[in-house]
Amino acid sequence: MSDRLAMEDRRSSRLPFPAELGALVAMALAGLLGYLVFPDDLAFLTRLIGIVFLVLSLDLVTGYCGIATLGQSAIFGVAAYAVGNACLAGLVDPVALLGVGMVAGAVMGLASGVLVAKFQGLPQLVLSIAVGQLVAAMANKLSSVTGGSDGLAGISPGPVLGIFNFDLYGRTGYVFSLVVLVIVFVILLRFVRSPFGLLCRAIKDDSLRARMIGARVYPRLILMYGISGAVAGIGGALTAINTGVVGLDSVSFERSAETLVMLVIGGAGTLWGALIGSVVFQIFEHYVSAANPFHWMTILGLMLIVVVLFAPRGLVPLAVSVVDRIAPRLGGKS
Amino acid sequence: MTTKFGFAGAAVIAALFATPAHSDVIKVGVIGTMSGPYALFGQNFKHGIEAWVAEHGAKVGDHQVEFIYRDEESPNPAKSKALAQELIVKDKVQYIAGLYFTPDAMAVAPLLSEAKVPMIVMNAATSAIVEKSPYIVRTSFTMWQNTVPAAKVAFAKGAKKVAIAVSDYGPGIDAEAAFKKTFEAEGGKIVEAIRMPLSTTDFGPIMQRIKDSGADMIFTFLPAGPPTLGFVKAYIDNGLKAGGVKLLSTGDLVTEPDLPNIGDSGIGILSTYHYSAAHNSPENKAFLAEMVKVGAKPDDITMASVAAYDGARVIYKMIEATNGQKDPDKALAAVKGMKWVSPRGPVSIDPETRHITQNIYLREVEKKDGKLQNTELQTFEAQPDWGLAKH
Repeated sequence: MSDRLAMEDRRSSRLPFPAELGALVAMALAGLLGYLVFPDDLAFLTRLIGIVFLVLSLDLVTGYCGIATLGQSAIFGVAAYAVGNACLAGLVDPVALLGVGMVAGAVMGLASGVLVAKFQGLPQLVLSIAVGQLVAAMANKLSSVTGGSDGLAGISPGPVLGIFNFDLYGRTGYVFSLVVLVIVFVILLRFVRSPFGLLCRAIKDDSLRARMIGARVYPRLILMYGISGAVAGIGGALTAINTGVVGLDSVSFERSAETLVMLVIGGAGTLWGALIGSVVFQIFEHYVSAANPFHWMTILGLMLIVVVLFAPRGLVPLAVSVVDRIAPRLGGKS
Repeated sequence: MTTKFGFAGAAVIAALFATPAHSDVIKVGVIGTMSGPYALFGQNFKHGIEAWVAEHGAKVGDHQVEFIYRDEESPNPAKSKALAQELIVKDKVQYIAGLYFTPDAMAVAPLLSEAKVPMIVMNAATSAIVEKSPYIVRTSFTMWQNTVPAAKVAFAKGAKKVAIAVSDYGPGIDAEAAFKKTFEAEGGKIVEAIRMPLSTTDFGPIMQRIKDSGADMIFTFLPAGPPTLGFVKAYIDNGLKAGGVKLLSTGDLVTEPDLPNIGDSGIGILSTYHYSAAHNSPENKAFLAEMVKVGAKPDDITMASVAAYDGARVIYKMIEATNGQKDPDKALAAVKGMKWVSPRGPVSIDPETRHITQNIYLREVEKKDGKLQNTELQTFEAQPDWGLAKH
């Protein structure tokens, strides 16, 4: 682990932010490819991006800080409801709404962090579930704010930057979401290698040792929770903006659990793992459920078992180790 | 059964039909609960539509009609909207149908005007849905529609003090409001109103509260599924049935697939609903026979089957009226005020609300030829959606 970190640091000393620049270009290209190759699937791809934010936010607390949580969707949902209400109250600018979601998510993240990060292990997990259930129950009860089980409907944001309307084909929604994703992802890539990010990893590896070298663990974790909340909040905001309806599903336990599954498939503890896990899972789910709307859940379950059996640490770490093994041989040949 | 072959199969078939110049393919996208805990109702949609197609052919005039199924296994507006967008943009459907859950229908509604696609709601039962777009028609029911007659029945049966116990979510709250308003207007008194969390499994304490309230009748709504069984059991085990407290509910408590689970203890439960598989009419007999022919199990046929069957009729009428062209205004105009005899009884599409006007029946659980069924006792004719009528 430390070797790799050192390597990354050495690499970064040559060019300013090469990893970040590479990611920027790669993601922009992949996104553009999605736009050009699947022009009829933009609605799905847009929905996918909203969930990617949620998985990224979970990675920040679970993958980087080692906090076990099954309540991440509470943050996502609270932000989505906040954005929905802001929009219904007359704030229709999508960028401003994104800000609302981010702030609401950060606040909710800090609040969850104060509770959840206080404990470790099973009590922590249980507490995270409790927070999630509390939010879900409140969302059901406070139907004047959330629309209850009917959902909060009628959210119709104005054009992006005053020019681009949200259209039936989902072009605006997709490009808007993609741009936000690329920006946030690149910032996060830099962020997780910052001293603060590294300290969080140290806490995850051995919180006692981190405490011994003078790190104040609890406040750090709360702060990380707040940042993670802001990321989840952006996802919630995008989902509310693009869908126009916020339902109880956005705060549900199932949503949290599915998020964890996507993270585990991709590989917790790397942002690429979160990104690729959520993209692969959702695309697979999308195609299987369209091809066989009646039995797709069974097929999905089988795929999960296969992935966990053959890549217990996730797809991205698997791919990295394969490349590591093959690359020297190829290098020797040439 | 094109769905079995998935994308490729559908594409091939579409291509085959697209080649001849005269017969074009009109596609209808059906979004329903095809998997998961509510899969039964998705199957109901499918069989209901297939029964209609088996009876009337897959063609309207020169136009081949093709139904494409998509799965919304749980309430998930974001997914439903994306599914609808995909159906419209990629599969080029001319009609959207199905929609089991309210938030999902709400999410699709804003797309319809821009896409010029009418939507035929086959279940989602919140009154306001039809107000979200002028291109929505509903062939199912609403909570208000079924509950207002229940309150009238309660009063007519001599109930003075009623305790309401409903599941704590949208439809339950609708049922509570509708019952309370109607029953109090009739001159009765609500002595207790309990909202039960959806996950409640132990109804003992609730029965105790009802007992203490001194009510002489319980009105309840719970969504079809395992909890209804627990509720009925608790009602009997806690001595309320023996104590003479009557039980009245909407038909959701005693849907046909649940009756065998409730068992003989359910005999005598009163409910109000728009469809009972035991409805005695030639149309219903023909419908049930056709359903069995397309592969539905007789015990699994519910209100969702008949809503889908009638929904398919509405879609065929729209295709006929527009001659296969994309003209939602013409399509809607053709079905406003449309009248027919459905398996559930005489129905019509209210030209104002675009919701189905239908008879609501008071039924009693009864054992006939060794099988439990909902036998209709009384008919409330041509009930509109009282939830919309109240505005």
